[in-house]
Amino acid sequence: MASRAGQEKALRLLRHLPRVALNNIDHPNPKPASRRKRGAHGGDTHGAGDKGSKARQHFARAGFEGGQTPFYIRIPREDPYKGHHLRREYPPVSLHQLQLMVDTDRVDAGRQIDLTQICNSGLFRLEPLRRQFGFQLTDEGMDEFVTPVNLEVQWASERVIAAVERAGGTITTAFYDMASLQAMVDPERFFKRGVPIPRRALPPQDAVGYYTDPSTRGYLADPEQVARHRLTLAQKYGYELPKVKEGPLTERKDPRQIFFGLEPGWLVNLTDKQVWRVKDPVMSEYFRS
Amino acid sequence: MAATMYAGCVRRLLFSCNSQCLNTGASAHLSGFKSAYSLDKLYPGSNLSFTASVPAPSNDKGFSGYIPIKELEISYSRSGGPGGQNVNKLNTKVDVRFHVATASWLPQEAKDGLLQKYRSRISRDGYLLVRSERTRSQHLNIADALDRIRYLVTDVLQKPKEASPESIEKHRRLHERATRERLREKRHRSAMKRQNTVDL
Repeated sequence: MASRAGQEKALRLLRHLPRVALNNIDHPNPKPASRRKRGAHGGDTHGAGDKGSKARQHFARAGFEGGQTPFYIRIPREDPYKGHHLRREYPPVSLHQLQLMVDTDRVDAGRQIDLTQICNSGLFRLEPLRRQFGFQLTDEGMDEFVTPVNLEVQWASERVIAAVERAGGTITTAFYDMASLQAMVDPERFFKRGVPIPRRALPPQDAVGYYTDPSTRGYLADPEQVARHRLTLAQKYGYELPKVKEGPLTERKDPRQIFFGLEPGWLVNLTDKQVWRVKDPVMSEYFRS
Repeated sequence: MAATMYAGCVRRLLFSCNSQCLNTGASAHLSGFKSAYSLDKLYPGSNLSFTASVPAPSNDKGFSGYIPIKELEISYSRSGGPGGQNVNKLNTKVDVRFHVATASWLPQEAKDGLLQKYRSRISRDGYLLVRSERTRSQHLNIADALDRIRYLVTDVLQKPKEASPESIEKHRRLHERATRERLREKRHRSAMKRQNTVDL
């Protein structure tokens, strides 16, 4: 029996020590981790004893093929969602909807109809933070599309391009990176941040082929090849290629430009209604490169 | 920092850049911006107009696939088959016809070939008719009809492949062997029949 001093010391300690639990006392572990009986001394009858129904009806685990590499191990895995968080999405806008917007004056057909115009109409919302990189033009309503427009979308199929060009318009597919998209989707909110207009990034490796291809009207494609392909498409879809004059229907942005009339590096001051240009030669060279 | 004054609200700034401002050098801040990746730097030798008219390829040295759409008569009607309101109301069926003999875009060889091989498609007036109601869209049906016309023309212009002397000789030998065999069996059959008849 401990002495009185020892008892008091113990009680004092008890006040500060953690509560007694299974993880801080010595106790035998009644359930050892279950392990499959493998080779050598875990082999032979594999824990089933000799004969009897238990030995004969204790089936092996599901998928076991008597030692042969089982099907579920033999066949390679395919991850359907691999990299899904990195894939770009292009919410659709149909030609029918576009025609309706033009007819009801929700977009100005006298200027280039780009991402900003479509977002400003209030009918479509783009969420760049949800990996939405722009709009794709779908072919619903391609038979009824008749207005000549200057379009800039992020993806369009061949028949959609034909429908637009048949009506006498032009279409370009262009890439915008995340920072540029956030500026384009809500320009007023972007200018209120007081940040210079960013320089648009070039498309990523897997998109370069699409945006340099004249058959998809990529913004980085050779214009001469694009002109040639316009005729090829007109021949394929059976319409006379309308003559398009240089003007509002052919104006295009520079590959590094986000807004018409504004250059990368410029700072728009909404409060004082001013636009500030870059004077520093190093910065100016960066924004022009 | 130099500040440039803008009159009017920001919206106007963003969306009222008309072509006049861009093309004249008067308002320098609105002139076309050119970065290091502008198209004239990417393609120095190119004519930078993507709406420039491209000369149509000629069909003199064989059929290039070019068909002047103006010289075709395209008419529309309603398609048959099921389809509810869509098929009842929309003119999705396409008829494309052209006069074969007077077609300026067809080489003479093609005209002769069409008149001979595709007689059944040519009317009494000499018009070749191609119909399409393959898809739900009128414009896709036009594309299908033109594709069919191009197929007919190339088919007719295709020259048959000449057989080599070795294969001609081989076919002659095999044909002769088959004939010999056929006659042998015929003779045998006839002899058996004669043998089996009873002369009463």
